[in-house]
This record gives sequence, structure tokens and C-alpha cells, in this order.
Amino acid sequence: MSAADQDWDEDSPERLYVITRGRSGLAERTTFDLVTLIVARSEPTPTMQPEHAAILRICGSPLSVAEISAHLRLPMSVVTVLLADLLAEKRIEARARVPKAILPDHALLEAVIHGLQKL
Amino acid sequence: MLRAGSSLGGRRSAPVLVWLLPTVVTVAAAVVAVSLTSTGARAGVVWCGVVGTAAVGIVAAEAARRGRALAALREQHARQESELRYRLARQQTETVRLAEVTLPETVARLQRGEFTEDVLKAYESYDGVVGPEFQAARHAVLRTVLEAVDNEEGLRESAQRAFVNIARRVQAIVHRQAQDLREMEDRHGNDPAVFDDLLRLDHGNALVGRLADSIAVLGGARPGRQWSRAVPLYSVLRGGISRILDYQRVELHPVSEVAVVGPAAEPLIHALAELLDNATRYSPPHTNVHLTAVEVQTGIAIEIEDGGLSLSEEGRGRAERMLRDAQEGIDLNDLGETPRLGLAVVGRLAQEYGFQVSLRPSAYGGVRAVLIVPQELITTAPAVGRAHGIGIAAGSRPGSAAALRSAGGPRPWGAKTVPGVIAESPHRSSAAGGPAAVGEQTPDGLPQRRRHAASSWTGAPEGAGVPRPTPAPVQPGMWLAAFHEGVNGNAPSSGGADHTSEESAGKGEE
Repeated sequence: MSAADQDWDEDSPERLYVITRGRSGLAERTTFDLVTLIVARSEPTPTMQPEHAAILRICGSPLSVAEISAHLRLPMSVVTVLLADLLAEKRIEARARVPKAILPDHALLEAVIHGLQKL
Repeated sequence: MLRAGSSLGGRRSAPVLVWLLPTVVTVAAAVVAVSLTSTGARAGVVWCGVVGTAAVGIVAAEAARRGRALAALREQHARQESELRYRLARQQTETVRLAEVTLPETVARLQRGEFTEDVLKAYESYDGVVGPEFQAARHAVLRTVLEAVDNEEGLRESAQRAFVNIARRVQAIVHRQAQDLREMEDRHGNDPAVFDDLLRLDHGNALVGRLADSIAVLGGARPGRQWSRAVPLYSVLRGGISRILDYQRVELHPVSEVAVVGPAAEPLIHALAELLDNATRYSPPHTNVHLTAVEVQTGIAIEIEDGGLSLSEEGRGRAERMLRDAQEGIDLNDLGETPRLGLAVVGRLAQEYGFQVSLRPSAYGGVRAVLIVPQELITTAPAVGRAHGIGIAAGSRPGSAAALRSAGGPRPWGAKTVPGVIAESPHRSSAAGGPAAVGEQTPDGLPQRRRHAASSWTGAPEGAGVPRPTPAPVQPGMWLAAFHEGVNGNAPSSGGADHTSEESAGKGEE
């Protein structure tokens, strides 16, 4: 019994659906993926939901959604919902990762640099 | 005795007169007859007179004797009768006392948990007047009644125990399920469709858990879980919200940063869930229920306001009566007839933990339930900082978590072990201490880089030794510029290490 009690102490009384108010991130999925970079645009306010405030606090510098999820120890979908809230209030800025195709090839870059240096 | 004696003396003269008088009269008549008759017949008359006188004397004496005996008998009878009357009166008062005083008192004492024999001994009485048979009968009545009550109590207790036992088992299953669900939610967090289903299951599970808790409480036990450390009020409120059907309708307003002591946390969560359930159930589905908590002189007042129909004075009276009744103890047999199970549970919990609950008309037009948590159940928020919720604990994790761990304290929230993942202690210590290796992993298996502004969000517990970069507003574009600089091998003058680490992290993400 006591061992079970110990186990029970580990988690918190609130469940994830309360944090997301029942949303599962299905609609928000299009906006964010694991590597979308998030940066806070405003300071957390005391009236905020604590998770929102936490995201704003740790996103002082850009963080990917996956990292936020790891830091807050919340599933990715929950984080997505929270981020969508913040985005709607314009408190964060989301920047999709740079698509690979747009990034110039490393060898090409070097070739260009070499070419320029030879000029 | 004096009265009896004197009346005896007074009465004695009368019988003497009674038997003396006829004799004297007969003697006188005989004398007159003798004097009137001639001498020839005198002898016969004398004889007749003597015989007559003797007969009358004897009869009179006998009558007088019998009269005396009769009087004595009557005397004795009266005495006996008064004695019997006295005894009867005593028995009557004794019986009335048994019915009106002794039985209720003994039954009450029995219900308070005293033993039958002790109670019987306490209420024994030896009254010589009422007689041993009556005494024995009275004792027998008392014993029979007490034994019947005792049996009944025992039956009810075992029924309650059975209830609680079943509830406990359900609670255990629900809890295991909740843990499993949380793990699954973590595991399938990337798939919103599965996650959605999991959330729904989780919610249903929480509702089952609340029902089991209610049954346990009504059976006289504690609600399910125990928290060994204080739980932040915000978490308590959200815990209450997470156990009702219409949780989306509850609007939680910001609350002060205090915590509820561990033993009182679960009862409070449960009481709040029941009150919130009432509020959402008895108000229109499109209205919100407002949940606020404010500090008052006596503790923390938690207010639940709904926009439903206002409670009539009569309805309010009924509800408060139910709360009060519940505080005096609930008969499980009555529960079938109590549709509002919730108030009974709240009443029980309130009585046990000293919450004050009141129901008033709300400014929104509905009902305002106010639950006051006494000051002694409130403590200041734990040292984990703004440890609301699951996320924030993680936000202030490294320093305080390491401190807690070294102090042998309980693990902070969110520090839940995820199965099948590397031990977290090395990760912790490195995060709190010196520079971390770039390739280290979070318990979720994600690469974790060392953040160049780590102390700006950890609340700087690792202190003075580490030079802290000035937290300047960072533009995403600027970060990309730095990235490109790194790619070009053109290390910038400041914070080079950080940038390289970010670079490798960025590569890892791609």
C-alpha cells in the first residue's frame, strides 16, 4: 500500500485535457511541426495560464517545438495547442525551418566563396 | 406506626362496648324478669336468664373477637395495598425512565462505539422496591435492545466496509489506468488523432475515479490518494476541474500562489469537483462557471459561481440542510434516495477537514458556492518556485530539482520517470552543474543542447560563477545569421561556444 502511495505522489492532480481545454492539437497541427522555431514576443503576465507563461519564459531565444515539449515535459500535441493560443494572441512568433531545397548546397557555397576570393 | 397505634387504642373500646352491652342488657332483662315473676317460677326464670345471658355473652364476645380480627385484617390489607401501590408506582416510573431516558442514552452510547457490556453495566440499577423479577426483566429488555442495535450497527459497518473496499479497488484500477494513460499520452503526443482519443479516455477515467472517491467518502473513508507534500492551489483547482464532465465550461481565474498541505489536498480537490459538478450540471450548457480563489482572514475562499437558475430560498435551505445532515453522518441506505450525492460528499469532507461551505445567490443570477479552506491547511507555495502545473516545474527545473534531490526531498512535479529511457540523474546534475555535453538527451529521447541563456530562465540557481550573457531580445533572423556565420566557419567574437552548440543541435534536428 505504501509503495503504491509513493507512486501516487509522482504526478499532479491535473490532467492534460484541462491544460488544453479539451483540444488535441488536430487543428493546430498544420501550423507547427516538431522543428518549427518559436520565439517569444512578449513577457509572461501573471494572469496567464502557467504553461503559457512557461513557454514565454523559455522561448526568450528561439526554441523548436520539440525542445519546448521536452522542457515542459508535455506531449507535443499539448504544446502545439498552447503555442496556437499564444500565436493567436501574437505573443510568440513561429518560424518554419528553412526547407532543405532552399539552402544552398555546402559544396556550392564553398565553390562560390573560393570563386569570389580568386577575383 | 404512631398513627396506627393510636387508632388501635381508640378502636379497642368500641368492641368491648359492643360485646358488653348486649350482655348487660340481657342481665338487666333477666333481673327485671326475675323480680317480676312469682317465687314459684323464679327458679326457672333465673335459669333461663343465666343461660340466655351466657349465650348472649358468648355470642357477643365472639362477634367482638371477629370484629377485632376483621379490623386487624383490614389494617393489614390496607398496609399491603399501599405497599403494592408504592411498588407499582416505582415500577411505572422505572419503565417510563427505561423508555424515555435509558434506552435512547444507551443506544447513543453504543453508536458512539462503546461496548454492549460496558453500557449495560453503566445502566444497571438495584432498586429493592421494584422487586428482583422486575429488575431482571428490565435488564433483559435492555440487553435485548442493545444487542439488536449492536448487531444492526455491525451489519451497517460491514456494509460500509464492503462499499469502501469496492471503492478502493476501483480507485486503484482507475489510478493505474490514469498513469498508463499519461504514459500513452506522452508516447503518442505526436499523433493528434490518437492523442485526442487518449484525452477522452483520460477524462472518462477521471469521472469514474471521482465516483469511486465519492463512495469511499460516504463510506466514512478518505478519498483516494494521498499527497505527501503541499500541492499548489492552482493545481488543486485544476485537479478539481479535471474531474467533472463539463470541464471546458469552467473558467479558472488567476489565484494567489499558495499551496494546500498534502493531507488536505485530495479532499479539497474532491469537494471542489463535486461543487463544480453541481454548478455545471444545474446551469445552462452554454454558460460558464467561474472559479476564483481569494485570500481572506480565515484562510482561502474558493468561489464557484454559475449562471444557472437562482436557488430559491427553499431550495437553498434544502441544500444547506443536506450539507448539514451529511456532516452528522450518512446512512448508506438513504443514498439511493439522494439524487444530489455531491452535496452529501461535500458535507462529509467539510466536516472532516474543517472547510466551511455556503451556498448563496450569485451576482450572475445563479448560485455562488463558497468554500473556505482554513488557514492551517494553507502553506506558502513550495520552493520549486512558480510550480503551478506540470509545465512550470520543468521550467525551473535544473537548479531546484538538483537542490531538492540532494536534500533528499520529494521529487518535483513533472519529474516523472518515463519508462525505457536513460536515467535522468546524470542529465540533471550536468544541467545544474558544469557545461553539458552537446549530445545529451532529455528523458523523452530528444537531443538537448546547452542553452546559451540558460540562467535567464532557470532563475539562476547555479549562481555567480557562471558569467551571464545579457539577455537581449533575440530576433529569429539574427539567430539564423549566426547560424550562417557558423556554417561559414566565421566564428563570431562573442558566445562562440554557444553558437557552435546550437549549430550542432540544429543539425541534429534536421
